[in-house]
Amino acid sequence: MIDRPFARLDDVELGDALRVLSDAIDWPVATPSTVSGQDLATRVRIRLTDPDRRRTAVRGWWPVVRPVRRSLIFAVAVLLTLAVIAGAVGLGLPGLRLTLGPPPPGASPTVTPDGSLRGSLSATPSGTPRPPGSSLGLGRPVTVSEVTPLTGVRVALPSVAGVGAPDAVYVDLGRGDQIAYVWAPGPALPATREPGIGLIVMRFDGRIDQGFYDKAIDSGTTVEPVTVRGARGYWISGAMHYFFYVRPDGTVVDDGRRWVGDALIWNDGLSTYRIESALGQEATVALAESIR
Amino acid sequence: MGRVRPFRRRRGTVSPPAVYRVRLSWRAVHIEDADLIARARGGDVAAYESIVRRYQDMAMRTAHLICPETDADDAVQEAFLKAYDALPRFRLGAPLRPWLLRIVANEARNRRRSAGRRHGLALRAAGTASPDASSPGPEVIVVEAERRQELMTALRSLGDDDREVLGARFLLDLSEAETAEALGLPRGTVKSRTSRALGRLRRALGASAGAGEVDR
Repeated sequence: MIDRPFARLDDVELGDALRVLSDAIDWPVATPSTVSGQDLATRVRIRLTDPDRRRTAVRGWWPVVRPVRRSLIFAVAVLLTLAVIAGAVGLGLPGLRLTLGPPPPGASPTVTPDGSLRGSLSATPSGTPRPPGSSLGLGRPVTVSEVTPLTGVRVALPSVAGVGAPDAVYVDLGRGDQIAYVWAPGPALPATREPGIGLIVMRFDGRIDQGFYDKAIDSGTTVEPVTVRGARGYWISGAMHYFFYVRPDGTVVDDGRRWVGDALIWNDGLSTYRIESALGQEATVALAESIR
Repeated sequence: MGRVRPFRRRRGTVSPPAVYRVRLSWRAVHIEDADLIARARGGDVAAYESIVRRYQDMAMRTAHLICPETDADDAVQEAFLKAYDALPRFRLGAPLRPWLLRIVANEARNRRRSAGRRHGLALRAAGTASPDASSPGPEVIVVEAERRQELMTALRSLGDDDREVLGARFLLDLSEAETAEALGLPRGTVKSRTSRALGRLRRALGASAGAGEVDR
């Protein structure tokens, strides 16, 4: 060690003095354990080959993230969770609310400029006709007689001239016991934007929220308040949009398809009905009021 | 395994052939590391054991430097287990030692937060070897021991950041680049922090020397 007082040493000399000091420090060494007699490397190998550890080992980035960053990531995750909960509450829970959103890409069948159908099949590859609405993701095809046993909901159908029994029925128990009755176009039912579809009457659990519609008016879709048998409803027309249902438990249900036509939606008790057709507002309201 | 350092020419003390041998030795270690890492990534635990054995002493010193209060053996074991899990993310071709030391340093920092009383680094007890003709006299031994203690006391008086950077650079004799990697700092920060820490160490030494003169 240099003889001069440490306080008078320059940086290089002081660094060298520390290097020399290192030889005098009582460093721990990786000696064999006094208990097992195994050195550190052997103990690490044994722990690595422990079947319990191999099952629980986390092979990810988490273990090497610095503690401060780990805390930050955790805090951000908590804040995001709280924000989602706050957002869900702000959307009007516990009632069900519908939220308009932009169409997700490729989720719906569309008609190409040359008139051919993309993403929707009205017939199987073998040429067997398929029931109307089978490509719309409305749920499991059932018969009318199966509806009540499956959902516990009474069958309720429109009773207007020219609209007979539905051509197809679908049930989706994962979407508020959604029931969809579908008719093919006919003399009394002009075709909607979706080929092979003249009318869809849907019913599902939940309530609609007026606040949502007030906001939706600016979204390119026209929303008009109407009355259906004394109940408040809405006539939705114009630009096609997807709907996302925010259910009472906070989950968001993506309707998953573009509406095939203008729609009438209203509440009847705890159920919500939705009719899609090309009949126009007045005829559709009349059709809705005929549902028994 | 002997200590291997990056090539460093010392003016007038190292002949060219010796420099060449050092370079080869460093490359050899590097290549062998890469081979062991590749095998360990493939699940060869024995290869990883060789890596651990190669760096375990340096890892122990690193853990002890950052948290002398903790059981370095336990911290290093845990760090090597985490490093094994993180091996798939190790950038091939990069030096392994500072990467491992960074994981060790993080583990030691975690334990420092929950550690109790701070007692810091300590000097080894003086040896009891019998004197021979070349040994310094007892007065010299006593003076050197006092100077070591003076330097150690000043070092222990520094804050964690200063002590870590000086410890890594000089006590562990890591290069600036290795210190930066091991402590998770930008290289420029290592340089500036080292300079400031040396200044603070010098002032601490000056203060202790001044106090000693007053005492006398």
